[in-house]
Amino acid sequence: MFHTKIVNSKDSKLLITEAENFISSSDFGASIIFTGTVRNQNNNQTVIGITYDSHDELVIKSFEEIYNDADHKLNIKDKSVFIEHAKGYLELGEISIIIAVACKHRDEAYVLSRYIIEEIKKRSPIWKKEHYANNESAWLKGNPIVHEKN
Amino acid sequence: MKIKIELYGASRDFSSQNSLDLNLDNNSTIKDIRNELINYLDKKFSGNESYKKIVNSSAFCSENNNIVSDNYKIKNNEKIAIIPPIGGG
Repeated sequence: MFHTKIVNSKDSKLLITEAENFISSSDFGASIIFTGTVRNQNNNQTVIGITYDSHDELVIKSFEEIYNDADHKLNIKDKSVFIEHAKGYLELGEISIIIAVACKHRDEAYVLSRYIIEEIKKRSPIWKKEHYANNESAWLKGNPIVHEKN
Repeated sequence: MKIKIELYGASRDFSSQNSLDLNLDNNSTIKDIRNELINYLDKKFSGNESYKKIVNSSAFCSENNNIVSDNYKIKNNEKIAIIPPIGGG
């Protein structure tokens, strides 16, 4: 079971209840819901919001590759995974990403949840522009995209 | 030939539009796009070094959503996306 989506903040918000409903199953004994939210400080600056930019098709493709890699690299075959990422402007405290996983056992669930967020950071083309209390804004530097296939 | 560069992340500051149109020689590659973008930044932003750094540290994505290397040959009218260093989550 696998669900992915890019959610434009102009249209709707990311909802934890949707993630809970998606991964809920008596097949699994362990579930973890990870959320990333907009924080009010970064690099000694007061942040008031973040604009997220996304290459949607490539992001969804990277999510699918990460999900499939979990089969091979982590050998976690029985799983349910829900990944949604926001794009557009988010205010403080709003959810930018939800990663919900359900597995048979807790060890697998913790490993899988951590694996997915770390891989997204390396492989999914998403960018953040921070907006500060002094009315300035700046794109965060980021890291060159990691891609496994050419 | 004509190609369209779709702008993402920090490269959106290169233009008020979502993309840049470039004219390149036939059989041009991603490396030629990098050079042409640097020329564009030299003219339009007086060689803004931080913008040029973005171009040199970016990857590029073909129209069929593959990250492609510097020797990838571009097709006429192909849309190529510039992928600056990333950082979502």
